Amino acid sequence: MPVPFEALIPLGLITGFFGASGILFQKLKVSVNEGQPPRYGLDRWDRVMMERDLRLTGTMRGQSHQTTAPAEFSTNSAWDLETEHL
Amino acid sequence: MATHREATFLSTGKFVDPTPAPPETAHPEVGATSAPLKSAAYFIGSYCKDYNEDFMLCKDENNDPAHCLKEGRKVTRCAMDLISKLRENCEKEWEAHYKCLEKNNQEYYACRKPERTFNECVFSKLKLEKVIPDASGTPIHLRENTIYN
Repeated sequence: MPVPFEALIPLGLITGFFGASGILFQKLKVSVNEGQPPRYGLDRWDRVMMERDLRLTGTMRGQSHQTTAPAEFSTNSAWDLETEHL
Repeated sequence: MATHREATFLSTGKFVDPTPAPPETAHPEVGATSAPLKSAAYFIGSYCKDYNEDFMLCKDENNDPAHCLKEGRKVTRCAMDLISKLRENCEKEWEAHYKCLEKNNQEYYACRKPERTFNECVFSKLKLEKVIPDASGTPIHLRENTIYN
């Protein structure tokens, strides 16, 4: 009996749609992270360092290797807004 | 009771302090972000060992933020000194290594090749070596084969 090719059409459609949405999702994540894969498994250290990167460079994943911080760095910390919750 | 709640206002975006501290208390801060610092971490550790240990021992006495400002400034100055030396001598290799780290979730294992060139450059120009304390056998960054031996 010849190969039932009509049965493979929905299989191809399902694979195609899964693949297309997966590829689209990956491209979206990479574009949000400025051309790099997203960071995962972040602990408090990484979150605090990423927040410091945001204050230094202005974008979430931007990196720079300057010696001295720019002048805005001394006034853009929102730490003083935090209140004590007892 | 100490809560481990994280700060809520820190990553809300652009913020400018309306009442900044007086300019007499302003000191220069390190301008390198997380990936270059992680890349140069072992070199900062060996270059600035005395100042870092001073600061940690001082903090051990009293954890108040106002207590160890002088030692903290020394640590900052030493790190800035090393960063400017690295920028002078090994900037390209450093950039290659930390850009690789950024692509790989800042994991060292994924970037051994750029790390090797960077370590060689730093060793030849600045005489600093990456030493992992208490490493048994060959340190992980010097092994050719990490999957099987």
